[in-house]
Amino acid sequence: MSRRLLVVLAAVLLVSIAVAGQTPAPARQTAPSSRQTTPVPKTATKSWTQPKTAWGDPDLQGTWTSDDSIGVPLQRPASIGERLVATEAEIAQREANITRQSQSDEQEFAAPNARVGTGPPGHWGERARRPSKQTSLIVDPPDGRIPALTSEGQKKQADVAATRVGAGAGGRPAASWEDFTYYIRCITRGVTGSIFPVIYGNGAQIVQSPGYVTILHEMVHEARIIPLDGRPHAGPNIRTYMGDSRGHWEGNTLVIETTNFLADKTGIGLNGGGTPTSDALRLVERYSRTDANTINYEVTIDDPKTYTRPWKVAFPITQEPGYSLFEYACHEGNYAMVDMLSGARAEEKAAEEAAKQKK
Amino acid sequence: MRRKSATVIAGVCLFLAAVPVWAHHAFDAEFDAKKPVKFRGTVTKMEWINPHAWIHIDVKGDDGKVVNWMIEAAAPNALLRRGWTKTSLLAGTEILVEGFQAKNGTNRANGSLITFTDGKKLFVGSSGDGAPPNSPEK
Repeated sequence: MSRRLLVVLAAVLLVSIAVAGQTPAPARQTAPSSRQTTPVPKTATKSWTQPKTAWGDPDLQGTWTSDDSIGVPLQRPASIGERLVATEAEIAQREANITRQSQSDEQEFAAPNARVGTGPPGHWGERARRPSKQTSLIVDPPDGRIPALTSEGQKKQADVAATRVGAGAGGRPAASWEDFTYYIRCITRGVTGSIFPVIYGNGAQIVQSPGYVTILHEMVHEARIIPLDGRPHAGPNIRTYMGDSRGHWEGNTLVIETTNFLADKTGIGLNGGGTPTSDALRLVERYSRTDANTINYEVTIDDPKTYTRPWKVAFPITQEPGYSLFEYACHEGNYAMVDMLSGARAEEKAAEEAAKQKK
Repeated sequence: MRRKSATVIAGVCLFLAAVPVWAHHAFDAEFDAKKPVKFRGTVTKMEWINPHAWIHIDVKGDDGKVVNWMIEAAAPNALLRRGWTKTSLLAGTEILVEGFQAKNGTNRANGSLITFTDGKKLFVGSSGDGAPPNSPEK
């Protein structure tokens, strides 16, 4: 990484911190801050001009992926404090990991000491192409951590822990498909879950027409149709998993405000995990194209019933040669659902028989 | 040796902790880490289905009886980005599989390590730029 770029990054970070320092903790009713906290230079490349559509809107069309932020933690480790920009050494480490991963992917033979583990096998993953320069996906609050939950949020978090089998050890056996997350059930990952980087399926295609922007997400096959004509939101009784979106342009930035979410479906985490959000959730997303192949994506999360303050996540999404969306008909072969439910019944039966033998 | 095992176990624990965020489903809800399996089998078909592809193989047991097993592979879209196509794994191909059996006791297993019989990996290739190796776009 060049020294000049580092200087620019440091300057952006300093400005962000300075701005943050001057801003009092947001009052609950205030609109999310529109300040820029992405640790990537916001200025467009000199040799590049924002293209326009035939009808004069900024042209963001193409297929974009958040792959380059795979593995960047949503929340920053507390030990890193308020440092949003990765150090040169951390970036070099990420670069080395990408190279090593790529060499391993290309290796013709399985390593003699290849471990048969229970984690997702290496060949499942899609890969970052270049190292992320961020220490966390959360850019505000300045510590990069999810803000404190309200008492209602805390209750929901406890409910999820107590009732969902979800994934991982320690969960109770699944009694029904309803015990699984909306992602595992192939229903949705919510708005933020559809774009936050995970191990695969990070693609989103933007299609524009006069008065509309449509965003297609590969996983789990979402199509968000966003009117730009300033029409009001749907009435308060109309609620959906992906909410009701309205867009407008601020210069060359596409700003999308989304409300009318169903309560208690998905959270603001990878794959829609985390504490489920409420019907008061309001998202403001900003798509700013900075060169031919990069958009800075930002989303401000404001859910006063769940979080004690608004917070912001940002990362770049990129266009890559040959990258396109593929169909993700998620439930066509979801054998895992059958296996997980029948596996839980088999375990119950085994436990019953063991108990009988004890008597 | 003991130290090495401890390291491996620690590594596995870390990996398990990461699984909820990573995978489309929970390994430990579907498969049994206490039932490792290892097969040499002949491919009967590959199902290119979401959210994960499944490879069907015929496995000859010690008693000479042939049993069909289903082995879970990656998401088909990830395989496509690695350069895989419908013809990459044809029926009749012999493969080696190591993994863990489903908790429900059926002949299903995850495919942690899948190779051809000479040790070559099945899923060589990077999803680096998203294009199959011989793609015209490249």
